[in-house]
Amino acid sequence: MNKEPYTPPSIRRVSQGSANPQRLGRVPVMDSIDGVPVADLIRQHGSPLFVFSESNLRDKIREAREAFESVYPEVQFAWSYKTNYLNAICRLFHQEGSIAEVVSGFEYEKARSNGMPGDKIIFNGPWKDPKSLRRAVEEGAMIQIDNRDEMLALARIADERKADLPVGVRIHVDTGTHAVWSKFGFSVEDGEALRVIRWMRDHTRLKVRGIHCHAGTFLLDANAYVIATEKVIELAVSSEESGAGVIEYLNLGGGFASRARLHGQYLPPEQATPSFDAYAEAICGTIKRRWPSGHKLPKLFLETGRAMVDEAGYLISSVVAVKQRSMDPAASSLAAYGKGAVTPGNVLGAYGKGAVPAAVGTQRNAVVLDAGINILYTSAWYQPTIHPASTPASAAQPTTVYGCLCMNIDVIREEASLPDLKAGDPVVLHPVGAYNLTQSMQFITYRPAVVMIDPDCGVHLIRRREVLEDVQGPEEIPDHLMEKILSTKF
Amino acid sequence: MNPLSSSEPPSRLADLMLNDRGFAFDPNTGESYQLSTTGLACLRGLQQGASVDELVDRITERWEVDPIAARCDVDAFLWDLQQLSWL
Repeated sequence: MNKEPYTPPSIRRVSQGSANPQRLGRVPVMDSIDGVPVADLIRQHGSPLFVFSESNLRDKIREAREAFESVYPEVQFAWSYKTNYLNAICRLFHQEGSIAEVVSGFEYEKARSNGMPGDKIIFNGPWKDPKSLRRAVEEGAMIQIDNRDEMLALARIADERKADLPVGVRIHVDTGTHAVWSKFGFSVEDGEALRVIRWMRDHTRLKVRGIHCHAGTFLLDANAYVIATEKVIELAVSSEESGAGVIEYLNLGGGFASRARLHGQYLPPEQATPSFDAYAEAICGTIKRRWPSGHKLPKLFLETGRAMVDEAGYLISSVVAVKQRSMDPAASSLAAYGKGAVTPGNVLGAYGKGAVPAAVGTQRNAVVLDAGINILYTSAWYQPTIHPASTPASAAQPTTVYGCLCMNIDVIREEASLPDLKAGDPVVLHPVGAYNLTQSMQFITYRPAVVMIDPDCGVHLIRRREVLEDVQGPEEIPDHLMEKILSTKF
Repeated sequence: MNPLSSSEPPSRLADLMLNDRGFAFDPNTGESYQLSTTGLACLRGLQQGASVDELVDRITERWEVDPIAARCDVDAFLWDLQQLSWL
C-alpha cells in the first residue's frame, strides 16, 4: 500500500481573520520548468540551481521589439549587461538584435568578448576608468557623459586625437512619480544640462548627438515615461536651437517593470505591471507628438533589462530544515526556555488553570532552504513566489522562509503561502532572473550552477557550480604564514 | 515527556469538538485550532486512549516517515497539548 506524504503533527490556534484554513487557496505546484522535471534538474545539477528559459527570453525581447517597432520607425534595444551578464544570456539577446549597454570597463570587455564591435556598445555609468574610456573612444562606442570630470577627460582625448567626438549626455529628470535619480547625469530642471551642452559647443570637440535619460527602475506607472520623454525632447530642441548640432538619438534607458512583486505591493503583478505596449505608447507616442514637425524623428535606444530577463529565471532550492516560529510577542518569555525546558511557575502560572499559554498554537511554520540571500540579492526589494515542486500534503499556510546563511537577516520571505514542507522537499523561486546573479556573492557558500533550457527541452550548463579554487584562486599567502600550523611556540 | 498512563482520555481532550478537516474547538476556553492531518490522527488516537507507542505506530503505518522521526514529532506534539492543558 502506498503511504501518504508525511507532515508532522501540529496544532495552530485559529485567529480572527484566518478562520478558514483554506483561505490562501491551493499552492501552485511547479514540478517542471519548460517541460523538464525539477527532480531531473536537481539530480543532474544539484540544488540550489538557477534555471533560465530560453523560450521565455526570446519571447520577451520579441514582444518588446514588436511593441515598439510597430509604433516607431527606428528603435534599437541594447542588452543591459549589469542585469545579467552570463555570456549565454548576453549572446542570446545579441542574436535577437540587441546591441550592448555596459556600465564599466569590465562589462565593456565582456561585450567585446561576446562579439559586439565598439560602435554597437553604449557606454554608460558614473565612472568609466581612463583606459576603458580611451578604448571606447578609439572603437567608436556610444559614450554617454555622466559628469563634468568625464566630459573634461573626453574633451582632452578628442583634442589629442584632433578629431570631433560624438557623444551622448546623460540627464536626470523629475517625473513627479518617484525620487529623482540625481546621482546620474546632469540636471535638466535647473538648466545644468543645457549649460553643459553649450559649454561643450564653445570649448571642446565634443559633439552632442544624443540625450540619455534613465528615469528610474521598476516604474509601474508608464506615465513616468511620458514626463521623462517630454523633458528629454525639450532639452534636445533647446540644444539644437543653441547651435550645438542635430540630436540624432534619444535614449530612454530602462526601468520597465517585470512581473516581480515589490514588498508591500498591493496589486498582483498581473494587474500592476504595465505591458510593453503601454510603455511604447508612453515613449513613442510622446516623441511623435512633441518632436518638432519637419524634423526627422530621432533614433530611439532602450536599455530594458529586468523586464526582459526576470521571468525567465528560476531558482530551484531544497528545504533543509523545518522549524516553528513563535509569532506572539507576549510569548517571548515562554519561548525563551525552549521546548522541554522547565518553565518558571510565575510565567506559566500567570495563565491559570484552563487558560491558554500564548506560545502554543500561535507558531508559524518556518523552513530553511539550501540557498541564501547572498544569491537572492533582490529579495531585499521583491518577494519571489515560492512554489512547491511536488504535490502538497496540506493546504497553504503562512510560512517564513529562511536562507541557509549564518546570519539573522537571511530571510527570503517573511511570509509565503506554502503547504507543510519537510527536509528534502524541492521548491522553485520565481521570478529571479534579474540582478541576482550579477549581484551575488560567495558568502560562506559556493554559488550554484546555472542552466538554460532550450525550446526542445535540452538542458545546457551555462555556468558550473563554483569550487574552492574559484574563491581562493586570487589569494596569496606570505611565506612566513606557510608553515607552523597550530604551533604553540611563540 | 511522560507516556500517557491511563487508557481514559483526560477530560479536556474528551470535551474537544473535532471535524474531519482538523478543525478543533475547545469549549473550555472558546479557542479554535487547526490540526495537521497527522495531528488530527494523534488527537483522535488520544481520545480513544491510545498510548504514545500506538500513536507512533498509527503514524508510520499510514504516512511516509520512519519511526524515530515520528516518535520525535509525536513527543513534540504531546508537549504542545500539555501546554494547552489538554493532557
